[in-house]
Amino acid sequence: MNAMTNFTLHSLKANRVRTAVTIAGVALAAALLTAVLTTYFSFTDYLYRSEAANAGTWMAYAEVGDMAASEGDIARATDDPRVTGVATLEDAGFAALTEAQQEKLGIYMPILSVSGAAEDIAGIHPSEGRMPENPGEIMLFATWKDYGGVSLGDTLTLSVGDREAVLVPGEMATASEGSMEAAYGTAYNVDPTTVEIVDGTRLNSSIGYLEATQDGGIFNEQLVNERERTYTVVGFYNRLGYTLSTGVGTAGVTVDEPETDGFGEVFLTMAGMENSDQVLACAEELFPNDHVVLHSAMLRYMGVTSDSSIWSTFFGIVAVLAMVIAGACVSLIFNAFNISVAERISQFGLLSSVGASRRQLRRAVVLEGCVVALIGIPLGLVVGLAGCAVTFALLGPAISNLAGNAAVGFCVAPNGTALVAAAALTLVTVLVSVWIPAKRASRVNVIDALRNAGAQRVSKKGAKAAAKAARTGTLWKTGGVVDRLFGVGGKLARINRKRGTAKGRAASVSLALAIVLLMTAGSLNVFLGSLVGVASGGEAPGEVSVTAEFSTERDSQPSDLSHSEGDSQPSGSEDGGSGESADPAGEKGDRSDGRLSHAEPVTAASVLAGLNERFASEAAEFSKAYDYLAESSGAQGIGWLLRSDAAMALPESMVGDAFRIEGGIDGGPMADGRYGTTGSVLYLDDEAFDAYAQGLGLSPADFRDGEHPRAIALAQGYGNNGNVYQLLDILREPGTIEVVAAAAYEGRPAHIGVAYNVDATAEATCMLQPYVRDENDATDVNESLTLDDVELATVPVEVAAVTDKVPALLGGPGSGVMLIVPESLAATQSLGGEAPIFTSYFDSADGDHEALAEELATRGGEFFHDGPYEMAFYSYNDLVAQTDATQQLAMVVNVFCLLFTVILALIAMANVFNTVTNSLILRRREFAVMKSVGLSNRQFRRMIMDECASFGVAGLVPGLLVSLAVSWLLYSAVTQSMSGLPFQLPWTYVGLALIMTAAAMGISVAYGMHRCKADNVVEALRADSV
Amino acid sequence: MDILTVSHLTKIYGEGEAATRALDDVSFSVSEGEFVAIVGSSGSGKSTLLHLIGGVDRPTAGHVLLNGSDVYARSDEELAVFRRREVGLVYQFYNLVPVLNVVENMTLPVALDGRAVNRDRLDGLLDKLGLRGREGHLPSQLSGGQQQRVAIGRALMNAPAVVLADEPTGNLDTRNSAEIMQLLRDSNREFGQTMIVITHDEEIALAADRIIAVEDGRIVRDERIRR
Repeated sequence: MNAMTNFTLHSLKANRVRTAVTIAGVALAAALLTAVLTTYFSFTDYLYRSEAANAGTWMAYAEVGDMAASEGDIARATDDPRVTGVATLEDAGFAALTEAQQEKLGIYMPILSVSGAAEDIAGIHPSEGRMPENPGEIMLFATWKDYGGVSLGDTLTLSVGDREAVLVPGEMATASEGSMEAAYGTAYNVDPTTVEIVDGTRLNSSIGYLEATQDGGIFNEQLVNERERTYTVVGFYNRLGYTLSTGVGTAGVTVDEPETDGFGEVFLTMAGMENSDQVLACAEELFPNDHVVLHSAMLRYMGVTSDSSIWSTFFGIVAVLAMVIAGACVSLIFNAFNISVAERISQFGLLSSVGASRRQLRRAVVLEGCVVALIGIPLGLVVGLAGCAVTFALLGPAISNLAGNAAVGFCVAPNGTALVAAAALTLVTVLVSVWIPAKRASRVNVIDALRNAGAQRVSKKGAKAAAKAARTGTLWKTGGVVDRLFGVGGKLARINRKRGTAKGRAASVSLALAIVLLMTAGSLNVFLGSLVGVASGGEAPGEVSVTAEFSTERDSQPSDLSHSEGDSQPSGSEDGGSGESADPAGEKGDRSDGRLSHAEPVTAASVLAGLNERFASEAAEFSKAYDYLAESSGAQGIGWLLRSDAAMALPESMVGDAFRIEGGIDGGPMADGRYGTTGSVLYLDDEAFDAYAQGLGLSPADFRDGEHPRAIALAQGYGNNGNVYQLLDILREPGTIEVVAAAAYEGRPAHIGVAYNVDATAEATCMLQPYVRDENDATDVNESLTLDDVELATVPVEVAAVTDKVPALLGGPGSGVMLIVPESLAATQSLGGEAPIFTSYFDSADGDHEALAEELATRGGEFFHDGPYEMAFYSYNDLVAQTDATQQLAMVVNVFCLLFTVILALIAMANVFNTVTNSLILRRREFAVMKSVGLSNRQFRRMIMDECASFGVAGLVPGLLVSLAVSWLLYSAVTQSMSGLPFQLPWTYVGLALIMTAAAMGISVAYGMHRCKADNVVEALRADSV
Repeated sequence: MDILTVSHLTKIYGEGEAATRALDDVSFSVSEGEFVAIVGSSGSGKSTLLHLIGGVDRPTAGHVLLNGSDVYARSDEELAVFRRREVGLVYQFYNLVPVLNVVENMTLPVALDGRAVNRDRLDGLLDKLGLRGREGHLPSQLSGGQQQRVAIGRALMNAPAVVLADEPTGNLDTRNSAEIMQLLRDSNREFGQTMIVITHDEEIALAADRIIAVEDGRIVRDERIRR
């Protein structure tokens, strides 16, 4: 060990506390970097494993048209050194299924014959039992067991055939006309294969079910060449990966030799591939005649990818976080070493005077940095990994659930690259931070250093100020509250501040940095929190909701007895028995107007009568449905409501700002001076309505008059104020709204829509637009109708009250005009509404919301199945489960933010500690002088407090300003993808930042003063000799 | 009349085996207006003695009576006040506050005491010390001799009971040394200022009324110089 090394280690030991704080800073930096990088790699690893479990580890597969013909290719691929694994899945026919089975399992059960390491490569895992190993054994989808009553060991006799395309009679098909895309594939981002189909083409498992009436094509299909096969069930699988779910059903897995050689897929894993192009080239080289598909997701997670736009975004975020951390650490370490060098400048001068070269001096400081790094970095790596392990252990289940695959655990994947990168990055940070102080040490002027560095403490400006202060008249002149508070100590502090060089600036900068770091973390937390909060929506009125909408009437054959009352069939039904399948989109516009026959011309009044009748009938049916659902065991009915929309005209006096702001809501002034919009009418069940009305101090009885509808309206709703989506004033005051309830055009039923922005330059931007529908294809026919062409039936609705209070059943305000009426009004008034949407809420009596949701689903299905109407849609939602998922997401976000905050805060605090403490220690000789001429401890404390207060203010103000800017930037970033968020400062974090910086200052000052006090005055005064 | 009485003063630094007896049972007294030189080799304990008289350190045993009152019977706060009013300290390395100008450095003890500056005394000292025209200068803008004059000014400003100077010329050239010694001598005569100067320079010591020689923490010689 040479003299300089000795000297370095000695000085590190002599400043134990600062050395420890600096090492802690380096360790924290390394820990944070390790955590960020480990999270990145762990997440990648998790996605890889998740994808491997779901879809298998295959990197590419070839769609082989004729397996027998490709025998040679497969053998060649197996022997190829680049290929590490091969698995084949070959079509061995399609088992016919009964109608009941088809509901659960698909049209057929494709029988796939697997060979090779299918479990890993193709992601085929038995959830129960085992993979088939011998001919005659089969593994089935778990639904066979759950709903089909099949158990392990059962034998299953199936009729297995081949699919064949059948040209629809009357269609002429040439080969080219018969092309279609294979149904599957897009979900996995693979290129869809184009296959050509002619009459009689054998269809393989990659082609979806052909049904001309469904897919609009010209082919149907049939099962031919059927033969009987008997299998022993040896296993079940419950995860439909990429490979086992086909366009026609879920596969049965066997190892039987297919009788007819045909379509198959050869899955490959490879080694030594650098990008997806190489993977593709390799696979195509091995299977030159076949279509090759890449497993893009897998390749991405493996880091083998050519297209990585999303991935680079992810990596970018990681890089930005790493940079922020590195920045904070440079500041910390730079400060620590800068101070360390300044403190020992006379020592460096002495060393220089006895012949230490500049290089040796520089090395001494760099060595100091290296020693700190040597201890700090390994410590940081361990802490970072341990932190990740603990965090992931806590959050792993939540993340797995969110990612939708609880079976694949999210855990730490220690990665050599991550550790090396974190270590290297931290080392670079340390060396960069140490470089400038090291240069300063090497440039030290021997004489100046030995004469004492104190002389350089005064700035040029300070000298001028000192010269001015020499007039004896103003000497030590004091005055004002501050002087009285801090006395001569404060005065001294202020003189020091004014005339001294920037010793306090480092402390202020580190304080400002601390505040910025904390506030950034806080803003991130607040905005991410709001994202999660907004995503979760408002407060749900109940644990489970059931929603439904009717479409057309069913055949008017006698329905289930329990619903016999509901059979009051509106007259003139002609499409009731059409047997159209339920419209999945639930567009109410699709219901035909054909209830009123063309044969008799209609008037607006007769259309309205028909609509009212139908509406009343639907409402009655839903009322019964609610009662039936509420009778479920364990269900507590919360209430229900119907919602329908209608065109409305409002007097100018009623409308609020939302109508007056351009683009505020869909609505605006019409030519007649009134305002037009499409509003919603909400029919609350009477009990809920009465409670709501009473809560507002209104008499529910006033709203029961079926002939003269009255409503309560919501004052506010969501709209765009030109900037962001937020609550706007929709209605100002009570009044009467004209609801367009029905219309007729040339003896046919017509509809009225609201057209917006019809003429941006004119006063009137809005108009009522009549249209009629063609009954054959149910599409709107634009005949350029005007209001003059049609006969209108309007219903005045008296808005008795306008309120901010939202009924509990609604959960939150809507967007646009919301009229709230009792359900009993539905018996007489449809108020322009057709096909109301039924929403009901239930709580579970025993807290088992999952069971309740299941039961409501079943009971609802029972009820509606035999009802008088076809269902447009019927759905239930387990709102508790949704909330749980949201809360889990919020927890994950919060924990990550919190960890980030805590570590950044620690780094920032260490920085403050170093700078403040050392700015005091550096001046201990000066303090000793003052003490020797009679500065009392009290005066000393006041002086230091005054100085700290000024550091604080000097750091706080810019810190807060920069934080504000950062918060705003984050807010802007968030609002780009998300509107309706108010800008808010993270006040908790502002407070936290203030408290933490104050605490850090307090601790630092206490420590610094302790050091200065402990320093014997005599010793300190002698410190001028080295 | 004795303004200062030191009795059985002992100071031990460190503990156990590392303990060093810097002062060992030292007793002497100084009359008002006396000019005393304390001489001794390096490490003899003379600086320790000075610091103990000046109230910047606390003795292990013994007493220091200044103006009849026990210095170390005071609390730390009282001791600070004592240092402001009763003692003036001059060091080899001047020990001025770098951010304060000449007059501020000189009047710092007055300011710390919260009293108004005696302008006449300040002006008189500035003239006497030859610091006229340099009132607004900072220590870094002054030569070593000038800085030491400021330090002496600071020590004299409050007209303390005793001025203690620790090698006041140790860092100065011959001409400046002579001037500084003359200044100390003059203040002693003109103001009747009691003065205790530590030095290892026999020639300077000969300017004093009395020479106390310290060796290994003990007084080995105490002689009055007759003129």
